[in-house]
Formats: sequence, structure tokens, C-alpha cells
Amino acid sequence: MTDFPTNQTQPGRFRRAWNSDLGWSFRHAPVAMVSLAVVLVLVLAAVFAPLIAPHDPFDPSTLNLMNGFSKPMEPNAFTGDTFWLGTDDQGRDVFSTILYGMRISLFVGVMAVAFAMTLGITLGLIAGYLGGWADTIIMRVADVQLTFPAILVAMLVFGIAKGVTPPEYRNEMAIWVLVFAIGLSDWVQFARVVRGAAMVEKSRDYVAAARLIGRSRSAIMLRHILPNVLSPVLVIATISLALAIIAEATLSFLGVGAPPTQPSLGTLIRIGQGFLFSGEWWILAFPAATLLALALSVNLLGDWLRDALNPRLR
Amino acid sequence: MARLSLAVALTVLVGTTTHASEFRWASTTDPQTMDPHAVNSTPVLSFLNNVYEGLVRRGKDMTLEPSLATSWEPLENGGGWRFYLREGVTFHDGSAFTAEDVLWSYQRASSVLADTASWFSPVAAMVAKDDYTVEIRTKAPNPIFPDSIANWMIMDKGWSDANEAQYPAKDGENYATLHANGTGPFLLVERDPGLSTVLEPNSDWWGEAEHNLTRATFTPIQNPATAVAALLSGDIDMINPVPIQDAARLEQAPGVDLIRGTETRVIMLGFDQTSPELLSGAGPNPFLDERVRRAVSMAVNVPAILQTIMRGSAEPASQLVPAGLRGYSEANAARPDLDLDGARALLAEAGYPDGFSFELKCTNDRYLNDASVCQAVVAMLAQIGLEVTLDAMPVRNYWTELRADNFDMYLLGWSPGTFDAEHPLRFLAHTPVADLGTWNFGGYSNARIDALLPLIQSEIDESARQAMLDETAAILQQEVAYVPLYVQPLLWGVRDGITVTQRPDNFFMLRWVNLAD
Repeated sequence: MTDFPTNQTQPGRFRRAWNSDLGWSFRHAPVAMVSLAVVLVLVLAAVFAPLIAPHDPFDPSTLNLMNGFSKPMEPNAFTGDTFWLGTDDQGRDVFSTILYGMRISLFVGVMAVAFAMTLGITLGLIAGYLGGWADTIIMRVADVQLTFPAILVAMLVFGIAKGVTPPEYRNEMAIWVLVFAIGLSDWVQFARVVRGAAMVEKSRDYVAAARLIGRSRSAIMLRHILPNVLSPVLVIATISLALAIIAEATLSFLGVGAPPTQPSLGTLIRIGQGFLFSGEWWILAFPAATLLALALSVNLLGDWLRDALNPRLR
Repeated sequence: MARLSLAVALTVLVGTTTHASEFRWASTTDPQTMDPHAVNSTPVLSFLNNVYEGLVRRGKDMTLEPSLATSWEPLENGGGWRFYLREGVTFHDGSAFTAEDVLWSYQRASSVLADTASWFSPVAAMVAKDDYTVEIRTKAPNPIFPDSIANWMIMDKGWSDANEAQYPAKDGENYATLHANGTGPFLLVERDPGLSTVLEPNSDWWGEAEHNLTRATFTPIQNPATAVAALLSGDIDMINPVPIQDAARLEQAPGVDLIRGTETRVIMLGFDQTSPELLSGAGPNPFLDERVRRAVSMAVNVPAILQTIMRGSAEPASQLVPAGLRGYSEANAARPDLDLDGARALLAEAGYPDGFSFELKCTNDRYLNDASVCQAVVAMLAQIGLEVTLDAMPVRNYWTELRADNFDMYLLGWSPGTFDAEHPLRFLAHTPVADLGTWNFGGYSNARIDALLPLIQSEIDESARQAMLDETAAILQQEVAYVPLYVQPLLWGVRDGITVTQRPDNFFMLRWVNLAD
């Protein structure tokens, strides 16, 4: 575990990071190292899915229905084909579907967090730095939203979006609607943290100095305060990523997320759940295990980052 | 959203204390309406047969029995039928049942706003001779007319007047879509669409009760695995259908019985045969060309669907009715063979050598494994270059979408209510006009079939009738009006000690349910 792959092209920067406080903490946290390894493997597998996957599960013309319900590692009774992790009811290779499904899960997760982060940081900075009415309005909206479970907000947004999109674009839009729905349900955390940090920072001397030389309010917020509030944001973003991946899986599991022709991990679990009683456990078990590994390792990484960046725990 | 509400419904159900002879059953589809004239579909008619009654009804073996009419006889010279009504029957609200209600129900069920209008296309007039005698005059002799009105349910005139439900609301809502007032063995006590519907026995029913229920609760459970889990854990007494993949397991599970049968329902694909353009507007509608429809019929690998998705428990279908039904055409029993090269050649001949893209509409909670079958069809059509966008939706919005012509191709299951091959001709094959071809969403039209239908309806000689039915079956196959896929199996799961009666029309009658003491 200690022979972490070194980045040959920029040894200096990597060495600095490796020797920094964060690097020291990382070297002494085996859980974080394992988690990072799992995340890297899964992300690389998802990114390079078209190169790794034996099939393209999104191309229906490559499917053979007679391959349906093949057991893992056993040749199919009709076609003689063997699939590592078996096939689902449509004859889709479960391994390929997981790789492609993970792409959607990761894409939706990352984009949703990016959206939530952008929205949350912007509103948090405005609320924290400007204060007054802007602060009151933004934070009350945030409070109200916090009283709803995030998944409920996401379902609401999803339902409305589905109603207003024309049916022919619904499948293409489904992914972006998911990003929007999950992102919108998750901005409050970012806004709260950034607001708190911005309120502390704005009374510091460097902010006063920037104000004295006549920099605009937006420049002060973005160029001066933002860089100083980023480390807690980073922690929240990591933990949010795990939550967003789970939120996407939940929505897809409930049938309101990724369409069945473009399945994400949650859609796969929903499909597999229908075959749990009939003995085709692999259709459910492998996507579920992948989701578990992905969400758990991202979460553990986030936990470690939070502890490592917390000066009181050092 | 629907799934979530079902989950809520289930938890509520689990929380309720159960009465000694309370019966709880579940199905994937909620009956869309409580109005017996608004939607002509099995979930609705089957459910409402417990609450409303017709002049005649079907027994356990599908034979015709007296119900609100005690007897009937043909009028002189084949002019129609005379029905003698049962006396002393009251509706659930206490008002008396008379000929006036029959005439009113005719007017209501045959109006253009009703989904049942085509049942009455052979009717010229309906006349009350006295309070308990009704004459139904037909335009031509109609030997099977009593069979064709077994699901025509009688509604009280006073009740529908008082509640402003004079006309059925097909896609909308009125008092009668949420309330019911029939003469049947059960009363509608609670109706919560999509959540639960509660019935209680009608103590004033004219018939002899064969059941021992005190209360019956219906819950739609859309997720088949959830339904199986509910049955196995004892939260539910009966589920219809059992998911095909779980049939083998339920057969072995202790405490649960699996009841197998074959439904008279043929699952088929239909095409838009009238719109000049595809739904997407991307070009002319290729399905106007018979060769394209034939190519589709040659590319769908039905044996593979039956082998995997249906797990060997369904039979292939060659025409709109299953083998063995009255009027089935033995002469046209062959299905097109799988022939991908032939299909590609036909597409090229029709001017689509590179295929085209279109939308397939499909239910995902109506027929057994419907969404899976559609997905498989998408993959099979991809082999001949057709790029299909699948829109699988709950049946709740499905018929509305089809009526609005929002499809290029669609999935349909048809079970002939009269148990006769004439029934699908009337609904699916006749050119859509006021009261005929009402479920012919694609607008298929053939003058010969339109001309044959009234002749079939009035023909008394069996072999002459069969010859005409053979001709229609041949025309429908030749022009690929539909692509019949397979006959749907019936799979019910029932807890031990409960007796139920399974009819091949998949109607579930509470009046034949008995719980163990």
C-alpha cells in the first residue's frame, strides 16, 4: 500500500503534496488509502468503459435475447456464450452494464455536486458578505428547504421537469434533469458553510484593505474571501458526492431517474430487484455491490479529509 | 411518485388490524375509474362486476347466466331480444331497479362519451314494455347479442341524475368515477385512486352469497417483487398477476398456492396507419406501407421472447384471438417465421434500406412483463436497422396517449369480452367510426372487413360464419394490420386455505372467494 504510483511528469509538485501535512495524514490513514484506490479503480473503469466493456449495452442491435438470464461464469444453455457476471432479462452483459451505468452515476453525481457547489457558494458569499436583507432571504429559503428531505425536493423537481419537457426529449433530458434535481436539493449545506466562513473573513484586515483600495464587492467576494473558505467546501463536496450518487440511485430505483435504455446503477438495481425471488441474484447483487463500494469509499475519503483539515484534531 | 405512494399504501395496509374474514388482494393495475361505462378494460370491468351487475352474467365456466334479467328470448323474425327483469332488486342506495334504469343505462353506455358504445352498434332501439320487460331491437338478427352485453352494467337513473353523472367521463372525472351505486353483491365503501379501494358485502343482494367475506380491500402494487413479498409475508391474501419469474418459487413456497391458466388475451403490436408523418416529424410515416409492417412482423423473434422473458409459460399467437376460442381461424394458424434478411429486403424495397427511427409506446404495469417485452422488441428491430425510442408508461396515462395519436407503434393486449372472434373485429379491425373501431388506435381500415362485420354478427349458420371469420383473419394477416405476439398466461398467487375461481377472461369475482375459518 505504501508504493503509491508516482507521477513522473511533475515529481516536484507531487513530492510537495506527499510531504505536506495532508500528505502526512494520508500516509498514516490506511482506510483513506484503500478508499482512494477503490475510487480510482472504479472511476478509471467508468471513464474507459468503452475500451474495457465486452459489449455496448446501449446499442440494442448487439443484444441477443436468448442470452437472457445467463449465470455468471457459466456458458448460456442456448448460445454457449459466457459472461463474467451473467446477463439480465434482455441478454445484456451485467459487467458491461455496470461499467456504463457507473459512468452515468458518476457523471450525475459530479455534475450535481458542481451545480450545488456553484449555487451554494454564490448564495453563501452573498449572504455572508452583504448580510442584511439578502442574508435573511437566502438563509430563510435555505432553512425552509432543509425541512424537506433532499430526496423529496429532487422528486418534486423531477416531476415538474418531466411534465414540462416534450416526450421526445424526455430520455435525453432525463440525465440533466437528474443533475438539476439533485443539485438543487443539495446547495443549502454549501451556502451555510460559506456564509459562516465569509462572515468571519469579512472582518479581517485583508478584506478591509481590499475595500480601502476600492475593489468592487464581487471582486472581494470572489478573489479574496472565496479562496479562504474553500477547504471546508472541499470536505462538503466530497461527502456530497457520495450522497449525490446515492440520491441518483434512489431516484432511478424509484423509476423516476435514468431511463431503462440508459441504465445507471440505481436503474440496474431496480431491474435486478424484480428477479431477486426467482434466483437470478446476480442482476441485483453486482450493481448493488458496485454502488456500495463507490459510495462507501467516496464517503470514507470525505471523512478522512474532514478530519485531516480540522486543526483541532491534529 | 406512484411507486412511492404505493409503498405508503402498503405500510398503511400492514399497520391495519385485520378482521377475521377480511380479504386483501393486490394487482399491478388500479382500475382507472369506478364508472362501468367509461373505460372498457379488464381491470375496470372485472373490478366493477363485484359492484354493478348486468342483465346477464358469466358463470365460473364462462357460460351465460341470468343476472338482473331472469330470462330472455329472441323476438319474432330475428328482430332482437326480449329480457324479463328480476323483480324486487334494489340498488345500494335503496332505490328500486326497473326497466327505466335499463333504458337509462343503454342511453348512457351507448353515448359517444362512453367507451362501451360499440357494444350497442347492432341495436336499433330499446323499448320498455312494462316495468320488468325490455325489448332490445337489433338492426339485423344478432344471435350472440346476449353474450355481447355480459359486461353492460346497469346504473340507477335517479342516482346518476342527482349526482350529475349523466355521462361517463372517459379521461376526466365526475361523481361516478369515484363513487358507485350498483345492485351487485358488494358495496363500494372507500375509493382512494392508486392507494386502496374497499368493498363490503351487500346484505340486501338478491342472490345467494357463496363467499364468506365481511370486507375486501384492493391495493394496487405496481412493483411485482413487492407484491410477491407481501403475499409471502401474509400481508396480502392474493396477487394477480404473479410475476412470471416468481411462479416457480411460489409453486414451492409453503403457505401459498399458484393458480395457473391461460388468459384469452393476445398481446400484439399495433401501428399508426393514418398519420402522414412520424410522431417526431422526422419524415413520412413508413408504417403506411404494408411491407414495412410485414418487415416488423418478420423481425420480432417471438419464440425467444417466450423462452426467456415469458419463461416458457405462454403460447405464440397468430391472430387477434387465441386458439380454441369461438371463431378462431384454424386456416390462419401460422405465424410469420423469423427472417431478418427477408425483413431487411422488404425495408429496402419500401425505400428504407438504412432503416428509420420511430417511437414505440408501451405500458409498464398492465400486461405481464410488458416493458421487458417492449425492450426486447426494440433490440430485435435494431437488428434490421430500425432505431426505436421506447416510451414505457403506466397504464393510467396510456390510453389517453394512444387516443391522442401520440405513437408510431404501440403494444396492446386484447381479451374478447364475448369470447368470440367477432369481438376484436368490432373494436380493433373495423375502421374507426362513432361506435365501431373504438380501440383501433392506429386507424387500420379495410372495406371488406367493414362489410363482413355486420354479416358475421347476423349469421346464424356456424360454418358460413366461420368462413367469413377465416376471411377476415386472412386479410388482417395479409395486410399486417397488427403483429400478434403471444397469448398471455394467467398466474394468480393465493394464500393457502383461500378458494378463488379463475376465469379465462382474468375476471376476479369476490363472490366466489372463501376464506378458511
